[in-house]
Amino acid sequence: MDQYPDENEEFELQYQDELELLEDLPDEFNPYDGPSTSKQAAEKQKENRAPSALKDNSRFGNSTLGSPQLSQITFGATQLEGEDAGAGSSGGGYVNRRLFGTPKGPPVGRGCSTPFQRMPAIKELENTQLTSRGFAQDKEINPAAEQLQELGLKNANKRRLERDLFGDIDDLFHESYEDPMVKKARTEEQRDHEAIDKILELRRKMRETSKTLRKDDVSRLKDLHDFKMRNLSYEIPNWPFLAIQRSDLERIYVRFHSEEYEQRQLDMISARGEVVGSLLGDAKEKIWQEAGEIVLSRTTKESDPDVTLVATNSNTEPGRLWVDKYKPRKYIDLLSDEMTNRSLLYWLKMWDKVVFGKAFHSKQEQEAVAGEGGSNNQLNSFNKRTGKFESNGGWRQRKSRQALNTNVDALGRPMQKVALLCGPPGLGKTTLAHTIARHAGYNVREINASDDRSPEAFKLAVENGTQMSSVLNADKRPNCIVLDEIDGAPRQSIEYLVKFISDGIFNKGKAKGAKAEHNILKRPIICICNDVYDPALRPLRQVAFVVSFPPIDAARLAERLVQIAYREQLKTDFGSLIALAEKSGNDVRSCISSMQFFNAQKHSLTLQDVLNNNLGQKDRHQGLFAVWDAIFRIQRPRKTLQTDASKSDEPAQVTMTNMSVTTRVRNVLDAVHSSGDYERLTQGVYENYLQQKMPDPNFTGVCDALKWFCFTDTVQHQISRQQNYSVYPYLQYGFVVWHLLFATLAWPKISFPTRGFELLQKSTNQRNIFQALCKGVTTSALGVGQGKTLLLDTVPLLKRILSPQLRSVAVQLLSPKEQQDLRHTIEVMVDLGLTFVQVKSQEGHYVFQTEPDLDALSAFPGYPGLTLPYFSRQLIAREVDLERIRRAAPKGGAPSAPAAKKKTSGTAAQLPNHLQTLKPKPISAPNMRNAPKQQLTKDFFGRITHKSTSTNSAEDAKTDAIVKSPIWYRYKEGFNNAVRKDVHIHELL
Amino acid sequence: MALWVDKYRPRELSKLDFHKEQAENLRSLCKQSDFPHLMFYGPSGAGKKTRIMCLLREMYGAGVERLRSETMTFTTPSNRKIEVMTVSSNYHLEVNPSDAGMYDRTVVIDLIKQVAQTHQIEISGQREFKVIVISEGDELTKDAQHALRRTMEKYVATCRIIISVNSTSRIIPAIRSRCLGIRVAAPNETEIVSILQSTCKREGLALPVELAKRVVDKSERNLRRALLMLEAAKVAKAPFTANQEIPDLDWQVFLRETASQIISEQTPNKLEKIRERLYELLTQGVPPNLIFRGLVEQLVNKCDMSIKAKTLEFATEYEHRMQTGAKHIFHLEAFVAQFMNIYKKFLSELIMTDDF
Repeated sequence: MDQYPDENEEFELQYQDELELLEDLPDEFNPYDGPSTSKQAAEKQKENRAPSALKDNSRFGNSTLGSPQLSQITFGATQLEGEDAGAGSSGGGYVNRRLFGTPKGPPVGRGCSTPFQRMPAIKELENTQLTSRGFAQDKEINPAAEQLQELGLKNANKRRLERDLFGDIDDLFHESYEDPMVKKARTEEQRDHEAIDKILELRRKMRETSKTLRKDDVSRLKDLHDFKMRNLSYEIPNWPFLAIQRSDLERIYVRFHSEEYEQRQLDMISARGEVVGSLLGDAKEKIWQEAGEIVLSRTTKESDPDVTLVATNSNTEPGRLWVDKYKPRKYIDLLSDEMTNRSLLYWLKMWDKVVFGKAFHSKQEQEAVAGEGGSNNQLNSFNKRTGKFESNGGWRQRKSRQALNTNVDALGRPMQKVALLCGPPGLGKTTLAHTIARHAGYNVREINASDDRSPEAFKLAVENGTQMSSVLNADKRPNCIVLDEIDGAPRQSIEYLVKFISDGIFNKGKAKGAKAEHNILKRPIICICNDVYDPALRPLRQVAFVVSFPPIDAARLAERLVQIAYREQLKTDFGSLIALAEKSGNDVRSCISSMQFFNAQKHSLTLQDVLNNNLGQKDRHQGLFAVWDAIFRIQRPRKTLQTDASKSDEPAQVTMTNMSVTTRVRNVLDAVHSSGDYERLTQGVYENYLQQKMPDPNFTGVCDALKWFCFTDTVQHQISRQQNYSVYPYLQYGFVVWHLLFATLAWPKISFPTRGFELLQKSTNQRNIFQALCKGVTTSALGVGQGKTLLLDTVPLLKRILSPQLRSVAVQLLSPKEQQDLRHTIEVMVDLGLTFVQVKSQEGHYVFQTEPDLDALSAFPGYPGLTLPYFSRQLIAREVDLERIRRAAPKGGAPSAPAAKKKTSGTAAQLPNHLQTLKPKPISAPNMRNAPKQQLTKDFFGRITHKSTSTNSAEDAKTDAIVKSPIWYRYKEGFNNAVRKDVHIHELL
Repeated sequence: MALWVDKYRPRELSKLDFHKEQAENLRSLCKQSDFPHLMFYGPSGAGKKTRIMCLLREMYGAGVERLRSETMTFTTPSNRKIEVMTVSSNYHLEVNPSDAGMYDRTVVIDLIKQVAQTHQIEISGQREFKVIVISEGDELTKDAQHALRRTMEKYVATCRIIISVNSTSRIIPAIRSRCLGIRVAAPNETEIVSILQSTCKREGLALPVELAKRVVDKSERNLRRALLMLEAAKVAKAPFTANQEIPDLDWQVFLRETASQIISEQTPNKLEKIRERLYELLTQGVPPNLIFRGLVEQLVNKCDMSIKAKTLEFATEYEHRMQTGAKHIFHLEAFVAQFMNIYKKFLSELIMTDDF
């Protein structure tokens, strides 16, 4: 996150004016005892972590005021501490340190705890300290403090309070929010480090304070020293004293003063303290009051809607759907998995840099968000943590656990620019997207299946949504596009979306100025789908941040249902609600709808109702493995409702399922129905049934099972051939038979069926090789047969025929028999279009392989293929190539010559058409265009070179001149004196 | 023409080695100006194609042997490109539509119709029709066959069709009735032996009669196979000896081993291993009916008399079912399991009777 301004910088950017103000102030305050409070407050705001540092200081100020008789001593001690820490300060310094908690004393310990300012205990401590000081102002502060304390206990964030206290904390609402999980995950070590940092920071500040003091009040210091010298002693002094034993057993004698003296001293200090009091005391008092008021108003505000909510919910709006009524409106109300919520929110928060970012005017929006979500403290508390966690290295650890890529691109956008929520219906995906987007300060624009999603309309919607904002709407919040039910969108639309997302990157790469900037996606897009593996979503899935929804915990859902039931005064119990949740597959929507239905019916909901009713059931798609499991496993008895059709008037009883065949059959049929992919299911059963329990030792069961496999196959084949799906329902009964034959109570080991696919792939491969072989067969070798004959009869024997025994010697040294064999092999190979090619084997060495790969054809494990050694293959490969060339060369001109002659002699002895060959015609001189002037010559490579006769003569003349001269050179182009000569290819071979 | 099957293939009807009477008939058929569509049927390696080529030569002269092979590309209605190899001369076209698999109808419609529609360019001294040779005609789908039947009637003036099939049973009756069927039976043992010996003589080798007979046995009277086997045997060991090893077809050996494994053990584990082997055979392109046949032959040979009939009964049942389905492995395994079942029962009964 280097590209961002760090927190301090950011703070400075945002609060520049305030800072300037603040910077002016300290100069005036410096001379005084508690001088740098406001400055430190500003600093503290920057820090966002050291609120109690301020607390300490402010308390300092207060204590200065509150106990004037000691204040001198306190500061003196501090100064001494700063001045000569190691110099073995006087006993008085020591005592004071212990008494008044200079940075090395107990307050330092509290300083350590500053990162945990949210801990209520500390808060309490502070409050009690505040209250115990016994000032007049305490009385007024008390209610507010108590409320604050209360809030602290209620997990409210103290920073909120401080913001109210110190006015100008405009929390970075749009900063990422911090996950408490991470907070917890933070190790002890990190805490320690933070604590140490804090201590050092405090100490530094303290030193600054003391420094300024020392600089300005050297005389005062001296006085103080004198005061100490006068009042404390190691030896028994001559003034009245109290003996105190120090921890190192040394005695210190503290002087008693008379009451008038004390009074005098007090008066002296309070004369100075008035100034300070007007500076800090009054201001602080005011702030406290304000804080109290704010807190008070908030608590009342919060409590009010609750009351009204209950009131409105209970009886009004009878026509409204409960699903709508009890829709979560705040983040805290969300039922879905916390991790999912948080990761999505975090992703959304990552957009803040781009969306809100430096744009300072976005404050309003934050206010709007705060105002909207302000009714609950929890929401704010989440937001407040936000400000802090960006600098937190703890997120790095989180990355590995989540699929979220926390990196951002150069523009500060998250790397994954789209979030894709996927999960079965009714879990609250849409609700989550809306809630979180609103929570994060966006205006949600939803595009769902009911909208026109043709590529054009889609394009328009997406572009408008990302590049414009509502003008008419009062709150100018940025848009967040929610593409609901995206799995139903046309493929082109999704492709456009993907392009749109990645185009930004592309344009940026080009960097064509403003125009390029224009197209960059600067708004988050959330897509929602049910089936993430929809083929149309494939391109999107690769670029998106995929958040898959785990099913909601049944108990958690039931709790919510209980709440709703309570509010709606529906009589029910937890057990039946759990049953309802389970029955609907934890579908929130369906549960609430069912409850409303029951409420409308009879204002009660019992377990019987749930079990007895078909409400809330839906076609759930079960995974393949789940179905196979159902087939190979006998279900354990479950709670179910025993209904007797004959005695329908009697109340039904809840009993355990009897594991009769009927029930099992129904279970299996249900499971098989829910999957529907019968072909794959069959294959899975087929590849797994032999590992299951065998019904009998005599294979009768296996035979029965296989008969059903055959039946299934036949039916499937007929269906696919004739597209006659009327017999489709029969397919499922095979599964019942297999279940009854092989199912056990034990957990079955089921592996995914791959053999069928492997078979298909391998046979395709084989077919390709075979087709290549077929194509290569020349017309002179048609006797080898065609199709299957070639494969079954010829290929196996061909391997033998092509494996002559050859010694590894040069061709010339082979015996006549070997020569003959070699000749034969080569001829066969050429006839069949085979050759050996050198390929690199998997082990890395080179082998000669037949091309097409004859060895792979009709190859069975354990049977030898071509037995030729490497050398022979190499030899044959060469010879085959030569033979190829030889055959490709035109046959000698001799046979064609007589034919040509005959043809010229007369048409009477005309050859059949197919025997005629073309005869080259000599090019006659008149046909040539520039025959007299040009001489057609060819160079070595057959290119025609033109030489005009005139130049020839000129050259001749030149050469004559050259020859006549005494010395002459002759330049020869090229490397040799090659002589052009006609050579036939057969002469070379 | 290096392989013996090609090298010593008769090129004229007069030089055929067996079914000479039939050859004579064919020759007289050619002498007439016209002849009907023909369908040569007979087992593989009996010389159907040889006879067809001889017949063509008889009709058109040596020019028919100047072959060229071409690859033609067709586009199916579903916009799929398929390639079909054709071998043709000026007078005839040989095509194997089963190369196109299920799209053979396109081949029949496009290619054959197109060729049939065109006339011979040069009629002088020639026949006025061309010949289309369809090899492996029994692999044609029903659709393709139906597409063919009208073509055969409509363009009878310009083209004759010669179909070469293994069995007429898979040819629809409509085509069967349009063709003159010519049965080419596999040569008998003595014929093959004499052919093998004459071949060896021309190659300058001496072939012991015993070896020739064994080759005949092993080749199942398939002349092509016999010649290839002999040639392979020659490569392995040059001067023939009577008890020389004759190379086997790998897949047959594999099948035989599979059968003996079935006999040896009847457990689910074994069944799974057998399944692997069957998968292997299917991947290597061995047609399932051949696998079935090989298995049944071996099993029946090896099992007791009392369960032979039952085995055969089940074999027919399952093989028939296999024809109606698409996943051959199910049916093959079903048969194997069924055999294991009856064999196991038989064994246990045997033990029982032994005990008493």
